[in-house]
Amino acid sequence: MTPVPTELEQRAIDRQALTATTFVEIVDTLVDDFDVIDVLTQLTSRSVELLQAAASGILLADADGQLRVIGASTEEVGLLELFQIQNDEGPCLDCYRTGAIVFDASLDADSAWPRFADESVRSGFPSVCAVPLRLRSLVLGCLNLFMSEPIELSDAEISLAQALADVASIAIVQDQATRDAAIREGHLQLALTSRISIEQAKGMIAERSGVDMDEAFKRLRSHARSNNRLLTELAQSIVAGTTRVESLHDRRKPPPPQPTPLKLPN
Amino acid sequence: MNGEQSTRIALALARAVAKSPNSGLCGVCVEILAVSGAGITIMGGGHAGPVCVSGGRMAVLEELQFTMGLGPCQDAYSSGRPVHAPTFDAPISARWPTFIDRARDSGIGAVFAYPMSTSGAKVGVLTLYQDDEGELSADQHNDSLVMATLLSETVLSLQDNAPPGELGNGLEAVVAYRAEIHQASGMVSIQLHIPVEEAQLRIRAHAFAIGAPVSVVAADIVARRLRLTDDRQQPGGGV
Repeated sequence: MTPVPTELEQRAIDRQALTATTFVEIVDTLVDDFDVIDVLTQLTSRSVELLQAAASGILLADADGQLRVIGASTEEVGLLELFQIQNDEGPCLDCYRTGAIVFDASLDADSAWPRFADESVRSGFPSVCAVPLRLRSLVLGCLNLFMSEPIELSDAEISLAQALADVASIAIVQDQATRDAAIREGHLQLALTSRISIEQAKGMIAERSGVDMDEAFKRLRSHARSNNRLLTELAQSIVAGTTRVESLHDRRKPPPPQPTPLKLPN
Repeated sequence: MNGEQSTRIALALARAVAKSPNSGLCGVCVEILAVSGAGITIMGGGHAGPVCVSGGRMAVLEELQFTMGLGPCQDAYSSGRPVHAPTFDAPISARWPTFIDRARDSGIGAVFAYPMSTSGAKVGVLTLYQDDEGELSADQHNDSLVMATLLSETVLSLQDNAPPGELGNGLEAVVAYRAEIHQASGMVSIQLHIPVEEAQLRIRAHAFAIGAPVSVVAADIVARRLRLTDDRQQPGGGV
């Protein structure tokens, strides 16, 4: 007969299941288009459920090295202030600077961060933990956990917090790569479209004025210059019909005789 | 894709290029992926232009896909997934009967098209041709996926340093190859008073109807040896 698990064991089993579900859920999100803020906020909520935390937030360093909240498990004003203070002092600042996990289970007046400790205790969080969001040797920011009791997180819980922080880093890096690639693809598409429009406009001018492609290009270019327009923009406007191709027709030269159409095989 | 595999393919790519710098990227693909032929096409902006093909047979087949606007290449690009036709009896090949006929005639037994994309950016398609029927091995398939990603990264890198709106060094040829088709589209649009997109379709339809490559028809139009007639005025005439 299978022994009935104790309450403690049952809680451990439930937590394992929730951990697995969380990771599957997040990985699923990362496969397709995803909103990075949404994923990070979801991660903070899950970190509260999985670890014995009362609140949590993810802070990222901006280009100037300022830590900014990017997602939090709650929008409480007190919590936001606790994040803000940490640009001067606090576990997140230390964690961001050193890249190491920072943990203080009993904040008091003797803490290394007196102002932060005071605010945190007053907001009902006597215990805090900051876990780094790392990309190889680079620290992007941190996951900040707040506990409502002066409790120590176990090693297993800290590993889990680090795993959640790693997933957050992956989401951020993936999002950046996708944005970069989309911008680069956009450049390529734009260059292709521009070049094609120029060729098409050359064909239109050549046909309308009975000149060859070289002459057509010269006319396109000189019209762009004398009207202070960009070559590509002019070409696109001719192709779209907004600039009449006749306006590039040089009336000083008579159009050459039109060739008789070839009899086409049917 | 795992790091070890990308490194292996990248090294093989570098070695192959070092050994014969003039074989072109397609020659390298043929060698590394152990296939009979390959074609690399850049797509986008209503344009499809080959960067390179490994031989005359492949040039004809890539051209045909452009003429028809149909083929494994277009399917791989629009779906974003590899398209495998390991035998021409495979149900998928029914989507492109003309392409299959022509491929068979030139001794091709199987076609595989891999979308070239990196971090979601679609750049073009790598098409692999086999003389013999049969599915690619698992290694060939995995290597082709890595190769397609490396190629898209290469293409985007070529474009990275170009001024906005201009094509990067080495990519100019992609449009130059089809320049006459776009010029001819411009000419036909004036002749028949139709938009250029429609003009290009008319040129492709004409090429298909007379069984000529679209590049030949375009060259004839640009040289003013050929004028497409307006079938709205001459029912039954023209294309």
